[in-house]
Amino acid sequence: MSTSVRRTEPPLTVRTPTHEPRNRRRRSSPGRAPATKLFLILPSVVILILTNAYPIAYAAFQALHNGSLISPGEFVGVDNFAKVLADPAFWRAAGFTAVFAVAGVFGSWIIGIAIALLLRTRIPAKGLLKTILLLPWVVPIVVSAMSWNWLIGTSSSPVPTIFHALGFGDAIFLSDPLGAQITVCLFEIWVNFPFMMLMMSAALSSVDESIYEAAKIDGANARQQFRYMTLPIIAKPTYISWVLMAIFCVNDFPTVYLLTHGGPVGATNTLVVLAYKTVFQNFQTGPGVAIAFLMTLALAIVAVLLFRQIRKSTSQ
Amino acid sequence: MKNILPPTAMSRRGFLALTGAVTLTASVSACAVGGNASASGGSTVKFWDMPWGDKNYTDAAQSLAQAYKPGDGMPGVSYQQVNWDGFNQTFSSAIASNTGPAVSTGGGFQAFQFAKQGAIAYADNLIDSFKKDGTYDDFLPHTLDAMKTSDGYVGIPWNLDVQVFWYRKSILDQIGATPPQSWDDVLDVAKKASAKGYVGFGISGGSGNYGPMAVLSLMINNGGGLFNSNGDLDIVNDRNAEAIDFLTELIKQGAVDPGSVSMKDDDLTTLWTNKKVALGFQSPAFNNVVGDEKDVLVTDPLKSRRGEVGGLYYVNNIMMYKNTPSQAGSEAFTSYYIKNMKTLWQKGVMQGLPALKSITELPEFKANVQNTAVVEKWQPICKTTAAQSSALTAKLATIDGGQAMTDFCQTVLAGKAPSKTILTKLESDIKAAIS
Repeated sequence: MSTSVRRTEPPLTVRTPTHEPRNRRRRSSPGRAPATKLFLILPSVVILILTNAYPIAYAAFQALHNGSLISPGEFVGVDNFAKVLADPAFWRAAGFTAVFAVAGVFGSWIIGIAIALLLRTRIPAKGLLKTILLLPWVVPIVVSAMSWNWLIGTSSSPVPTIFHALGFGDAIFLSDPLGAQITVCLFEIWVNFPFMMLMMSAALSSVDESIYEAAKIDGANARQQFRYMTLPIIAKPTYISWVLMAIFCVNDFPTVYLLTHGGPVGATNTLVVLAYKTVFQNFQTGPGVAIAFLMTLALAIVAVLLFRQIRKSTSQ
Repeated sequence: MKNILPPTAMSRRGFLALTGAVTLTASVSACAVGGNASASGGSTVKFWDMPWGDKNYTDAAQSLAQAYKPGDGMPGVSYQQVNWDGFNQTFSSAIASNTGPAVSTGGGFQAFQFAKQGAIAYADNLIDSFKKDGTYDDFLPHTLDAMKTSDGYVGIPWNLDVQVFWYRKSILDQIGATPPQSWDDVLDVAKKASAKGYVGFGISGGSGNYGPMAVLSLMINNGGGLFNSNGDLDIVNDRNAEAIDFLTELIKQGAVDPGSVSMKDDDLTTLWTNKKVALGFQSPAFNNVVGDEKDVLVTDPLKSRRGEVGGLYYVNNIMMYKNTPSQAGSEAFTSYYIKNMKTLWQKGVMQGLPALKSITELPEFKANVQNTAVVEKWQPICKTTAAQSSALTAKLATIDGGQAMTDFCQTVLAGKAPSKTILTKLESDIKAAIS
């Protein structure tokens, strides 16, 4: 992907002999240039502070207090974190978040890369097929969730009715904790595989076809070509897509909430859903924000590990 | 970069001046917005309302609010509808950012919750004025008392959501059953109806509040509930366990839809509308909601296996907030709304019962004979979520619609755990939530 970006990047400056001396003259007055630069970036910095730093700082304040959204409450130190970490519901949600993220990342990646590889071959109506495959990602999540609910939500929904007719008994997927967990993961994969398909298609487009021809001459079969050539070549965009998808999955509120509200009996609570419920249903702002902080910390660790892999793959 | 700009482009000095001006303007605008916000919509009283009835409710309520003519020097009113979905978040966020309403309807315990957080303007002045003009005596028994705290009245009751037991007559006729009068009757009718392919006992645990309200109704029906007469949590007791055991029996007999654990409230209403459900708890005027006034009817209060009767109701109220352009203006509008809200029942758009006796005597209200049955038979024997205690508090806002009750209802509907285990877990969850 990076190669293709470089290839299409337009030249940003047009250097002509007449302009050269003027540029040099500007660089020779160091006292003015940094101030100008600072002034120019100031609005962006202010906006960033207002939109990011202030809410984060206020959230940190709330995590250390026992207040509500309206009143600040009293300082309680790390009590909220201790309370959250001692709560089995937090660890259940953390466990399911991990499962949900792993399923979301690798499920959507496997399907995405498989379709991306398929789309490299000569198949009829490729453009139409690509458009149809993008639909799960393009359609608003509310519409998708309602559709899935209609398909599987009640015992009279089409899918349970078909299962019943085929002799599988009452298959109410969202009423059983394991069934609901599997359904939510499948829904996440279904919604996100088009994104992975796009990422992998872009990555694969940068791979030179001639190396496969050389490999064929050397006797490499399709599996070996994929394992030892394609995967290493697209390693960097793959890791980047994993990082992005992991962030999407861990922060994904609507997918779970619209489909199951975190139920049954909290089986599909992810950390972000638990944080929401703690703040807005139990009115416990401090513990809710503490959950969000712990979630961010875990996500940061995962992101750092994956970025290390990206650096490794780049250096190789 | 600069080298490719046309010669007529803005000079660096000009650009800097423009940037500075824009930044300054933005900062000043931000300050101005903050100032305005804290005045709760400037010179108008912001009234936020929930969807309390059928599809025509919003238009009727908006017309009522807009017909308000403020007195000299009093602010006018703006009307805004707020959806139930995520309403806690909507109100909390708005109040926290000083962009909330000056007057609102809302959740049954919302006023207590925001009063505890210092955002509610107590309604004692308004109550005093109601005492003087006779309106005070028009409120149904106990409804005003339910709003009273040690610091004052947190709101004014305006409608009551009574959880009553409904049946579909045509299904009962088909299976040769009469309307149930006791839990044993319910079990018998529900079993017969489910044998014919209907949902015997309709209940939804997936989202919303219908499921937890139905379970709590049965617990209160049996003389139990969440609190004892001292206002202390009292959940793990035989009365509540019997109510759970009764539900478990219904589930094991196949009288409850196997998908009830995850069924959403809207899905249950659709099943009722499609004539698939025989029995179940719902709010008043539910027959209007499903568009079947003659076939969906109210039973008498059910006798539990202990021979007790009882039910659950919510005293929904209009509350005033400190963030108002004029407290006198908020009170004047609230007084107007209470005294003129009868039009909502006259138009037949309300689902709940009116909190004023005079409205229950209107011919338009009595036209739905089920309303009369609810007022006469159910309301007098109902209790609030506080159950055996009469004191409503902010902690009830945490319990009502909270995680603990949802998980509790879903565990009951799963029909696997012993009742005492489920109740112990509920008590522990509620303690953790309100601690």
